[in-house]
Amino acid sequence: MIEFLTIPGVILIIGALLLPLLPKNMRGSVFLLFPLAALYVVFTTADGYSYGIEFFSYQVQLMEVDKLSRVFGIIFSITAFVAGVYALHMKELGQQVNALVYAGSALGVTFAGDLLTLIIFWELMAVSSTWLIWARRTKESDGAGMRYLIYHVLGGGLLLGGIIWHYADTGSLAVETIAQNYTFANVLMLVGVCVNAAVIPLHTWLADAYPKATITGAVFMSAFTTKSAVYVLIRVFPGWDVLIWFGAAMAIYGVVYAVICKDIREILAYHIISQVGFMVCGIGIGTDLALNGATAHAYSHILYKSLLFMGTGAVLYATGSSRLVNLGGLFKKMPYTFGLYMVGALSISGLPLFNGYISKSMTISAAGYAHIEGAQLMLLLASVGTFLSVGLKLPWFTWFDKKENDITVRKLPWNMYVAMGLAAFACIFYGIYPSALYTYLPFDAKYDPFTIYHFVEVMQISAMTLAGFWLLKKKLGGKLIIALDVDWFYRKAAPGVRKVFVTWVDNFYDRVEDGIIGTAQFLTEKFKNPMTWLNPFTDRRNKADGYSPAMDVVMSFIMLTFIVIAILYIL
Amino acid sequence: MNWNRAVWTVIAVIILITLGLEFTYLSDYDSHWWNHIPAFYAIYGFLCCLAIIYFAKFLAKNIVNRDIHYYD
Repeated sequence: MIEFLTIPGVILIIGALLLPLLPKNMRGSVFLLFPLAALYVVFTTADGYSYGIEFFSYQVQLMEVDKLSRVFGIIFSITAFVAGVYALHMKELGQQVNALVYAGSALGVTFAGDLLTLIIFWELMAVSSTWLIWARRTKESDGAGMRYLIYHVLGGGLLLGGIIWHYADTGSLAVETIAQNYTFANVLMLVGVCVNAAVIPLHTWLADAYPKATITGAVFMSAFTTKSAVYVLIRVFPGWDVLIWFGAAMAIYGVVYAVICKDIREILAYHIISQVGFMVCGIGIGTDLALNGATAHAYSHILYKSLLFMGTGAVLYATGSSRLVNLGGLFKKMPYTFGLYMVGALSISGLPLFNGYISKSMTISAAGYAHIEGAQLMLLLASVGTFLSVGLKLPWFTWFDKKENDITVRKLPWNMYVAMGLAAFACIFYGIYPSALYTYLPFDAKYDPFTIYHFVEVMQISAMTLAGFWLLKKKLGGKLIIALDVDWFYRKAAPGVRKVFVTWVDNFYDRVEDGIIGTAQFLTEKFKNPMTWLNPFTDRRNKADGYSPAMDVVMSFIMLTFIVIAILYIL
Repeated sequence: MNWNRAVWTVIAVIILITLGLEFTYLSDYDSHWWNHIPAFYAIYGFLCCLAIIYFAKFLAKNIVNRDIHYYD
């Protein structure tokens, strides 16, 4: 039993059950203990550890530890802690509980020893994260949360279908590498996982929901859903060629939309798609170096992306707006937030001495070493777009551009600064000491990011991106718009679908119901006293609420006959 | 603060340093076909940047941009 309680995911979920029992003011701080406890377990559990329980006649492997699950376990626990610090001022129990369940389920997926455990945590992740969107309590977040939930229920359903089919075919529920073979079972599982990894064209839930989530909720969301899917892809689908091109395409897709978007959190949401594209591409390449690159990039990405979401969340908290058109000229009012944000921005842009440099270059180099030069150039193009929109456009139009901004700026709670500081420290720390991360990487591939070649490559690209931005920056501002994405198909189709499957069905049932009730009414009316129409000679104005004397006689006679027959039968 | 001068100075310094490194340390580096093109990454970066901005503007203007109340 004690082993059950030391499963990292379970620790956090137990925390979620305990929080409501505590006094309101303690909850935020106690929240932080659970990710720390999980982190301790992750560090101290040896490779090869596994724990299962008997469930009916089936052995459920609840936890298995190896190098790959450990590195994801470490970063998930750290992020849950940092995001918990960021949310320390927030006293809403629903959000705290769901954030813990959400982080716990992501850890549960990471250490799941079989596909059954995995799918249970997978679904739990979808449900708990939906709360973090709805908790914003706006009309937009209500709709976006519902679309998010439906999308994930669909994705989870595909994955579950694939798992069942896979089990029927192979008799195995182990979470293990599946050789590239496009059977129905494998494709169902792959598509189910790709929904969570936001692989285009299954990505729209992300860009739709994340910008509408709560300020603190978005920080949690930026870390867990997509990266736990990346983990499953690394473990189950490494070297599936199709992922190379989908990954490279989504890397570019995300940055193009990030240039179009005018809401700071929407820009970051599209950039998650782009960054996950790097990882998916690496997984498709499937060499040891590429898989290490995908893992390292997931690790770095969680750190800097949560930092970026914390920075933009701080702007939204302080000013009440995340629209570029309302922002600008905030440098004097929020200089520290700007500095911390820029650490994240330079990290995501992969500049030297920040942690994006040590992981992004690994993935791009892996494409180079495998001589998939098309993909390599596509990823370099995506890096240009990343620096352009997250490193230049977003900060320029938020903190500069205008001389002054008369928007009222609310003071940030201290814990927000602490959380951003922690994440910024980690980004720089890993950027300077990459071996702190590299020693935990699961595959055996040596890599040195600090070569003159990479330095020249990254600096030339970034400098000329800056030049391009500076010349054309006037084209990038502007008022908030909706940028149509492929969600147009289902959002525009929704009224039609609702009409066919809800309104028409409802109407049909209504008609049938009306008909039945009408018939019943008619029959009761008529048979209440059939003598009124059976016998034309009686008084038709019989009392409506009673039988006529003649009817009484008939009824008594029928009753008597029944009794007589019954007695005869018994005798 | 003179933004223009600062930005162009930074760009110039970086390009000069990296070009220096490219022509000394990396002169006989040969892994991809583009390693023979001098300042390839600078040119590629600049062209990509323009391409992304103009392509995004084109998409925005002609296809994807809608009023903020479009879905209401």
